[in-house]
Amino acid sequence: MIQVEQLSKLYGSFKAVDDVSLQVPNGEIHGFLGPNGAGKTTTIRMIAGLLKPSAGRVLIDGHDLAREPEAAKLALGFIPDRPYLYEKLTAEEFLRFHGGLYGLDGADVERRSDEMLQLFDLRGWRAELIESFSHGMKQRLVMCAAFLHRPRAVLVDEPMVGLDPRGALLIKQVFREMSRAGVAILMSTHTLEVAEEMCDTISIIQGGRIIARGSVDELRAAAGSADGALTPVFLKLTGGHGLREIEDAP
Amino acid sequence: MRQAFPYLLLPTLWAARNRARRREQGDGLRAALFGGLGLVVTLAIFAIVFWVTWQLLDYEELGEYLIRLGLSWLFLTFLSFLAFSAIVTALSTFFLSEDLRLVLAAPIPPERLFYGRYVRTAALASWMVAAFLLPVLLGLALARCAPASFYGWAVLTVLPFVLIPVSLGSLVTLGLVNVFPARRARDVLMLVGLLFAVSLILLLRVLRPERLLDVETLPDVTAFFATLQSPVTPLLPSFWAGEAVFEALHGRVDALHLGALWTTALASMVVARSCFGRYYFTGWSKAQEARKARFSRLHFLERLARLLPVGPAARGLLLKDVKVFLRDTTQWSQLLLLLALGLVYLYNFKALDLTRLLWLGPLVKNFYAFLNLALAAFVLSAVAVRFVFPAVSIEGPAFWIVRSAPVSLRAFLWSKFWTGFWPLLVLTEALALTANRFLGVSPELQLVTAVAVALMTLALVGLAAGLGAQYPRFQAENVTQVAGSYGGVVFMVVAVFFILVVTGLVAWPAATYLWHDYHRLPIPRSRQAWMAACGLAATALSLATFWLPMRRGVAALERLGR
Repeated sequence: MIQVEQLSKLYGSFKAVDDVSLQVPNGEIHGFLGPNGAGKTTTIRMIAGLLKPSAGRVLIDGHDLAREPEAAKLALGFIPDRPYLYEKLTAEEFLRFHGGLYGLDGADVERRSDEMLQLFDLRGWRAELIESFSHGMKQRLVMCAAFLHRPRAVLVDEPMVGLDPRGALLIKQVFREMSRAGVAILMSTHTLEVAEEMCDTISIIQGGRIIARGSVDELRAAAGSADGALTPVFLKLTGGHGLREIEDAP
Repeated sequence: MRQAFPYLLLPTLWAARNRARRREQGDGLRAALFGGLGLVVTLAIFAIVFWVTWQLLDYEELGEYLIRLGLSWLFLTFLSFLAFSAIVTALSTFFLSEDLRLVLAAPIPPERLFYGRYVRTAALASWMVAAFLLPVLLGLALARCAPASFYGWAVLTVLPFVLIPVSLGSLVTLGLVNVFPARRARDVLMLVGLLFAVSLILLLRVLRPERLLDVETLPDVTAFFATLQSPVTPLLPSFWAGEAVFEALHGRVDALHLGALWTTALASMVVARSCFGRYYFTGWSKAQEARKARFSRLHFLERLARLLPVGPAARGLLLKDVKVFLRDTTQWSQLLLLLALGLVYLYNFKALDLTRLLWLGPLVKNFYAFLNLALAAFVLSAVAVRFVFPAVSIEGPAFWIVRSAPVSLRAFLWSKFWTGFWPLLVLTEALALTANRFLGVSPELQLVTAVAVALMTLALVGLAAGLGAQYPRFQAENVTQVAGSYGGVVFMVVAVFFILVVTGLVAWPAATYLWHDYHRLPIPRSRQAWMAACGLAATALSLATFWLPMRRGVAALERLGR
């Protein structure tokens, strides 16, 4: 379970995240939506333990991130939007190192790396330097690393960026299976179709505050929109009138 | 994470192993060149230290005193270098390094993260000192026939000596980052560091060590050593290290100073670890803040650029390059260093006392004038490899903007050329002509130098821009990486040959003319023809060195998209 309580982040006098609370129970896929600069990535980085909150707290699988950072991080798999990879390492060296950071070693890490590389279709590239990988391949390798230690919660920032349709389909399947296995998944995305198709609950953030939360149907009802697509609901809730005018223009 | 902290250093080791296994184009040449250069420097340091120590053996007590004083000074210099180097390195390893985003998201105990980064900081900040100390201590030990135990004690002395400034530097960085955002702290540090380097260079020059070679000023030597002795204080680790090494030279163990070194090193490390445990994450979080644009309201630049007789595209490129340069502290702050080196360069020529060589005066003067020409050109090539050669590469991943714009790549490269050419022409002419004025060389020779400098600037800037386009490194993290790449090495090698050949081609006819003029003899026709041929050859070589790389550079850029 991922539990976020009254999280805030101040940069000088600017409030990037303002009193955000979230709860992602085990087995749920929770979408985190919002326009650019709304505070999504800042929130995600605080949950991942990469940024110190100005106020509030984060619990991962019951562990307070501030008090028990190691236990909380051990329960979490993090997939950042712009992941850092050691370009001069091979895929398997990277996974071996990553596994060690999460307490896996010996035959366990080798077996698990092999499974992950197989799952994400990277087995043939295991001995190649990461610098020779395409963006989509790097994204898949980061997912291999994130799932390597069998996390209880997964935090994903923009999962579909750079993936081809086959890769995107694979990720969706993996996420669904993990959710069925009881993993809590918090996913920030701009791809509304993905959110609509995969998420059980969606939170919409704007100006650092959560302005709406619920299932797709509940959000539709809140926006007073009867039609099926999530895009008009999102635009209505976030005030994207300018964009709608562009879309409606002859 | 169950493993001990060295586990965190594995990616660096694996990456180094992979880099060695999968060599890229030019790696061999670069390794041979830099390795060879490093070996020559190491041997030279060893030879000098060995010779000086050997000579000092004749002076018994004075020699001992001088070795002791020299060691204290050597370690004091290293201490200040290490302290500053540790501050800058710690900023990068603890706060700005890209892989921290990956490492901090993992369940790593804070003390292991601290030690992992601390070792990396110590290694990066001190390798140069270690590389320099090795031939120095070896030279000292072999000249004094030191016992075998000396080498062990030397290692046990240098290790804590390095750790003390690294701990203190890391603590200063931690404090700075908790006060300023890390990226602004880096700017502040860059400036402080450069001012430190500039003052060190100027101080060394103002001390005028050449006075020691002048027999007439012998009484001043005592005053010189008195000046040297003043900052060596028994409370500094440099003094302890100097004393410990000195005693080890004689086969004795200086337990007091060694104890002081080790206890201080361990205590400073413990303090650093505890402070990092408490304040690191807050500092790291602050380091994530963006910084504001500098010079965003400098409209005079736009107005100035509008006066230039160039098209809007070239003007846009020029303005972009100038603004990026001004906003990148790592770039513009190098100008301070350059200024200091320029001042020292000119001061050296001013300090030359040619009056002592009365009968040789004119000959030496002319020799120095051509030496000045070659040296100014070397300075030019060093500046060009740092500023002009990376001009194409620094476009980095944003190069697509230029490539997709309706701007020809020829215009793009020429814009880079002109942006580098004018400032470098002014710099090199100023250096060469001012130095010549200090030397008091004849007006004819001044004119020859001015023309030769203009030709060399044209050639070397063209060579740098052209080769920079032929060997771009768009993925490089910083300009230094680009300058040290295969193309950068090729540029330096070609530039050195070019400078030597052109200086020779200019020097011979000019010297011939001055010799005949001095002896009031007519120059034979055949010799005149040879002199003209040399001048023409120098001009042709300069034009070819400028033109061919530029043409190939444009072609290479055009090939990029195919």
